Amino acid sequence: MKKSTAEESRSHKAQVVVDRLGKKLNRQIVGSMVACVHCGLCTDSCHYVLSNPGDPTYAPAYKADRIRKIFKRHYDWTGRVFPWLVGAKTVMTDEELEELKDISFGKCTNCRRCSLNCPMGVDFATMNRMTRGLLVSVGIMPEGVATVSKDQWELGNQMGVLKEDYLETLEWMEEELQDELDDPSAKIPVDKEDCAVVYSINPREAKYDPRTIGDAAKIFHAAGEDWTMPSDGWDMTNFGLFSGDDELGGAVARHLFDRVQELGGKKLVISECGHGYRSTRCEAPNWAKYDVPFEMESSVETMLRYVKEGRIKLDKTRNSKPVTFHDSCNLARSCGITEEPRELLNLVCTDFREMYPNREENYCCTGGGGAMSMSEYTPRRLKSGKVKAEQLKATGAKVVVTSCHNCVDGLTDVIRHYELDMEVTQLVNLVAEALVIEKPARVPTVVEDLPLAGRRIVVADDEPDQLLYLATVMEDYGATVYQAASGDEALTLVRKEKPDLVTLDLAMPGRPVTEIYEVLRSDSELEGLKICIITGRPEMRELIYQRMETPPDGYLDKPLSEDDLLRGVRKVLELSHQEV
Amino acid sequence: MSDFLHFSEHTLQEVALVFMACVYVTRIVWFLRFAAGKERQGQTGSGATSPTKGFIYSWANVAMPWAMESTRTKPSLYVQFVLFHLGVTTAIGLSFVIPYAPALLENGLLVLILQIVIGLAFLVGVRRFIRRVSDPYMRAISTPDDYFSLLLLTAWFFFAVLAVPNNSAGGEWHLLMYFWLTAFFLVYVPFSKISHYLYYPFTRFYFGRSMGYRGVYPIRRVHKAKTS
Repeated sequence: MKKSTAEESRSHKAQVVVDRLGKKLNRQIVGSMVACVHCGLCTDSCHYVLSNPGDPTYAPAYKADRIRKIFKRHYDWTGRVFPWLVGAKTVMTDEELEELKDISFGKCTNCRRCSLNCPMGVDFATMNRMTRGLLVSVGIMPEGVATVSKDQWELGNQMGVLKEDYLETLEWMEEELQDELDDPSAKIPVDKEDCAVVYSINPREAKYDPRTIGDAAKIFHAAGEDWTMPSDGWDMTNFGLFSGDDELGGAVARHLFDRVQELGGKKLVISECGHGYRSTRCEAPNWAKYDVPFEMESSVETMLRYVKEGRIKLDKTRNSKPVTFHDSCNLARSCGITEEPRELLNLVCTDFREMYPNREENYCCTGGGGAMSMSEYTPRRLKSGKVKAEQLKATGAKVVVTSCHNCVDGLTDVIRHYELDMEVTQLVNLVAEALVIEKPARVPTVVEDLPLAGRRIVVADDEPDQLLYLATVMEDYGATVYQAASGDEALTLVRKEKPDLVTLDLAMPGRPVTEIYEVLRSDSELEGLKICIITGRPEMRELIYQRMETPPDGYLDKPLSEDDLLRGVRKVLELSHQEV
Repeated sequence: MSDFLHFSEHTLQEVALVFMACVYVTRIVWFLRFAAGKERQGQTGSGATSPTKGFIYSWANVAMPWAMESTRTKPSLYVQFVLFHLGVTTAIGLSFVIPYAPALLENGLLVLILQIVIGLAFLVGVRRFIRRVSDPYMRAISTPDDYFSLLLLTAWFFFAVLAVPNNSAGGEWHLLMYFWLTAFFLVYVPFSKISHYLYYPFTRFYFGRSMGYRGVYPIRRVHKAKTS
């Protein structure tokens, strides 16, 4: 068939997007395409709009119209007959697709708040996910999305955690647990068959926040649960939800579901993660066309059930700071989980305060929709967090709890950027803290024995307060610490003192830390040197992790508590309890 | 009544109505040819939510301004919505009453009520047009159809107010304008945003059913006194 003039001059990618759009349409999507009356009621529901007054390009209806106009031009005959009247317009160039990318990935977190505020029932978030999928299918996406998707395709988890690192982390957490409880029977069982519960986690837990794994294990142990973690197929997150790639979504989910079946698990418990729960529990069976034969539940429901069944006892006075709760978009607006976390919170802390608005009307943490992986949009994301910051501040709470790992990172960034006096934690941490275990936990001797004794550490940070804090903590635990205020200083000290470990802040004056890192890794005289990144700029972590050199031995997010710092440093130095 | 006015009230309307019905049927058939997405996963949420409750809640949403933040926090816009659509319904009804039951309009009180209802809708139309033109957010999302439809509807309300008494003693121009605009709308509506009511039951059904299935609808309003 002869191509029209327009088709001939359209770029290949634009033509593919136009063609594939037709294949993505179902009745719900078409309804959302044709039903908008441009009433503008959705405008103020978007946190981007509220935080960027005067810029109408953030308005949900405006953003929706960027894809809607293509639909109307090619698939709706009113747009084909009267394109000028209904705002129908085709897409011709790759540059126009890039503009669509900027809207779809950079100006929307798919939080679905506008969908719930549309009088017509237009589900913009679903349309936007479809748009992302179309762009991803022609390779137009933020670099971070490409990287994470690749990791999930190739390594089976979205943070590229290697199997040995994951298993090592589980072993380490098991040792910590046994030590804390003074109970060698406290285990993190791996690949145990026919268990009542198979526990799946977010790779962020293995990579950056192993404390949550330890805390969950403590709770399972206290509840006497028959549980296990898979050695493979353990990632319950699914970047297909963010990238709009149903194929990736289906493949990731099938991997997890198959593993649970192979292990003969009765129930899949999904750790606290908004998108992980939504994608695994709600979307994945559709993407994978998989009739899941076992039960699935959020760990929030599991913990609450344990309390109700009398399997664990809690002492809420152990969590006495004022606490508020941030509802994850995916849990509240797409899965209806709003009351369970509140019920549990009231059981584990003494001062719970609501945030307003809340539940399905809560504002996005700014990190949803995969935004944390799109570093090019970080300034925009942080600016758009203004409304969230005001909401957090108004609670007067010192701790914000959320059942989502993306929200943990998003809120941490907002708190830091807007200088709020708050910390972020999860229910699993509060429950573990409040857990009453009959046999009193032995006071760890590691502190008395100075766990870093004999270790030589170079600490590099350009913020004097941070530098002093990190150095003091490590010195208090017995380390000999050398302080550096820049990358070059750190390099000089490392070459002179030959330490066991160097910690690097990612944003320091002078030579880029990536260059310093490259020099440290390539210097044969420093072969045994451990390197740990300690940064308050998580969006910059890819600068290191995407390099050809061996990745860092550890990574810690600022702000860091004393415990987290000690735990992280010990992990990097591979110190077991026996050694200390 | 002149033959031309008679033609405008009857034959013209009937032809336009048949045209509209044909286009609407075509439109619905086109819409239904797209397969509806299905939910394969298990239901989430508490027992208070279900797909059926979800779509009923979703349909009823139009009459529950408190249900959505967007209408709860902008009561004036909701009132405008109600007045505008009451005016539309009344003006449509008028196009049947004048040709087929003109005796009803001999009741002076009824005439006054109809004129007030449609007149208020006219004022809302003017207000909406000003908002669409003056608000940068509204301008950014408006297409020529949005302006044209609103302008024409507002003009239609104006002539409907004049047409309510069904009095041609002073001339037929206002009745002719009302009926010719009505006929124009019957032909134009299926191609414009005004046909949104055709999709409303579907979009709200599917969205409501999905939200009910996922435990979100019906939304519980407990503990929300301070909601913005």
